[in-house]
Amino acid sequence: MGALAGVRVLDLCDEKGAFAGKLLAGLGADVILVEPPGGSALRRVPPFWQGAPHAERSLFFWFYGAGKRGITLDWRTAGGAATLRRLAARADVLIESEPPGTLAALGCGSAALRAGNPRLVVASITPFGRTGPYRDWRASDTVAQAMCGIFFLNGHRDGPPLRSLGLQAYHQAGIFAAVGVVSALLARDVSGRGQDVDVSLQAAVAASLEHVPGFWHQMGLVAARQGTLHWTRYFCVGRCRDGWVMHCTLGDWTSLVEWMKADGMGAELDDPALEDIKTRQAEADRLFAALDAWAARYTVEELHEDAQLRRIPYAAVRPPEALLRDPHLAERGFFVPIEHPDLGLTVPYPGAPFRLTDAPWRVARPPRLGEHDAEVLAELR
Amino acid sequence: MRPLDGIRVLDFTWVVAGPVTTRILADLGAEVIKVERRGSLDFGDRRGGLSGTLMRGKKSILVDLNDPRGLDLARRLAAVSDVVIDNFSARVMTNLGLDYEALVQLRPDVICVRMTGFGLTGPDHDHVSYGPTLQALTGYTLLMAEPDGPPAGFGYSYSDLAGGNLGALAVLAALWHRRRTGRGQLVDLAQLETAASVLGPVLLERAANGGTTAPVGNASQEAPAAPHGVYPCAGEERWIAITVFGDAEWERFATAIGRPAWTRDERFATRSGRERHAGELDRLVAAWTRGQQADEAMAALQRAGVAAGRVANAEDLCARDPQLAARGHFVDVPTPEGRTVRIDGAPFVLSETPAAVSGPGPLLGEHAVEVLAGVLGLGGEDIAALRASGVLG
Repeated sequence: MGALAGVRVLDLCDEKGAFAGKLLAGLGADVILVEPPGGSALRRVPPFWQGAPHAERSLFFWFYGAGKRGITLDWRTAGGAATLRRLAARADVLIESEPPGTLAALGCGSAALRAGNPRLVVASITPFGRTGPYRDWRASDTVAQAMCGIFFLNGHRDGPPLRSLGLQAYHQAGIFAAVGVVSALLARDVSGRGQDVDVSLQAAVAASLEHVPGFWHQMGLVAARQGTLHWTRYFCVGRCRDGWVMHCTLGDWTSLVEWMKADGMGAELDDPALEDIKTRQAEADRLFAALDAWAARYTVEELHEDAQLRRIPYAAVRPPEALLRDPHLAERGFFVPIEHPDLGLTVPYPGAPFRLTDAPWRVARPPRLGEHDAEVLAELR
Repeated sequence: MRPLDGIRVLDFTWVVAGPVTTRILADLGAEVIKVERRGSLDFGDRRGGLSGTLMRGKKSILVDLNDPRGLDLARRLAAVSDVVIDNFSARVMTNLGLDYEALVQLRPDVICVRMTGFGLTGPDHDHVSYGPTLQALTGYTLLMAEPDGPPAGFGYSYSDLAGGNLGALAVLAALWHRRRTGRGQLVDLAQLETAASVLGPVLLERAANGGTTAPVGNASQEAPAAPHGVYPCAGEERWIAITVFGDAEWERFATAIGRPAWTRDERFATRSGRERHAGELDRLVAAWTRGQQADEAMAALQRAGVAAGRVANAEDLCARDPQLAARGHFVDVPTPEGRTVRIDGAPFVLSETPAAVSGPGPLLGEHAVEVLAGVLGLGGEDIAALRASGVLG
């Protein structure tokens, strides 16, 4: 049984907040995705299974909808809003990502919902938060990434800033919304009352930077992008015979230099001064040039394997699909085969981000449009 | 009142991922006791800046775990802690005799969180990693690139932040589970898997449709949008991100920029036309943005209802963002020395039991007496003897 078994969540979110409900469902909560009668907008987002657009074949929807039950309800009408209030009266949590004030205008704001259910936790995921001068501003994931500082950091010095792979503003906001929801549930055990959780895409990613705010506050430094050279200057992508590798000069330096020497190379790195990590940081450019010259002898996978045998934290630079073939993840059962009976298809879904060994993660198929309408309405009677 | 009042966390974490987890727990009210070693990596001033932001509100004790007396202190603290957490590679806590099997003997309902690179099982469980190497293995490094361009991925350890933030969720879920069942548990968090979990639909796409993944630069990774991307503005290193999804937004965009002739080009009249001619559209939009101040263009587009935002650098974010300022995102925290340090606060608001920064980062070993006397009830002589022998810093 999942950790959140027995917790009922109404999920009104669009793509901005969809990751929150996915996490809560994975933790075992009964997450009911509330879709408009025409289906969630996520169902129209590519990519699609076998390419052709279809409401039941959006892989984007499959990813974010996994593990949720689904009902159709037009809560933007007066009748639909009344049904939503009845659903909320029996729920523990409602998560939404509407512009601030939208639900309140329909009589479904958190205060109105808590009048019927004082224990309800209401989480809102909005571009900039529910208060402040930008509260009504809009954002896509890209715009949120721009406004939070992550975008400026990525890319080569002479190229444009680059957004990150994956909808990281939406994902971090989803994580913090789930953190806020479980915190509010724990607080409810003491107070008996629910509360509001207000999550901003911008702040969620601003809190997922590493050195940027600290270095500004401490020394007025505006961190610049520098390709794959890590800000600590201990990591940089280099070239092997057949591809890319991530160099690391932070780990066991002595072993790395001994290895190079055994290959008849790296004499210029055999310098006691370089045993000090501060020196290695200062001389990063020279070090990575020497390491590149040496790495060219190896294939990516040879270098990765040999380094790990020596406990040197090098890594192959791989495409994401390599994870699907990774024997390590296979043995851990990271991917979970999920059946889509209507399509005669079984697909490995990415599974638990972490393992609660006494409360297993739950992966399940996303709902068909309106699949649980009757079931959920029957529960209301 | 805060949600984790009364919860004690014994924190063996270091560098970034683990401290990110425990700073959230500290913000939520937990008492976090950092067990530190001499000579471990640090990032300068421990009160503020990067270190202070990572260690805010935690207590620090400096203990030599290679000495049996130091190890005994750690075990006694574990016996009175709700959560014990580390982010070493897998073998370290086992070698110290502080893994779950050992801790559960000391405290049957302990929540033991092991934040390793690769997890506690599987053929690679003993592999060594840092954030950048995990990002290399999961596709971020390779695919964050311009189309056909070389890898340009993350100049920082995003995976440490993703793993750290998810680690906090794991702890909260385990605490909820313990409230309901009375049982603690082992949490096996592999940062390879947390990084893979935030990739998004791409893994499912490859699994279902096969094929390989190519870098898409700054194209939309959600619903198709055009114009979409980052455009240069007036001045050095000033850029603006703009997203136009549908026809209504396109109309608002065209109006906001004064309806130049090209916005009436038939090729751009429909969403599919704009997508088909996105390259040409990008050139025209960039020609407009080049003459604009990023802040002014952002405000004008937002007033018109178009998603637009400057590509914020550290100064924009920390000193020139009225929204983050109004939300109290950065907080000024007094230090015992009479200084004030500015650090990040919790990025979410709980209306009734808000998270709050409990204090600045601790100095190394600052709370030795408070913890050993207050938590373990050790007397002054015992503490002095431990100090004299070098077991306690």
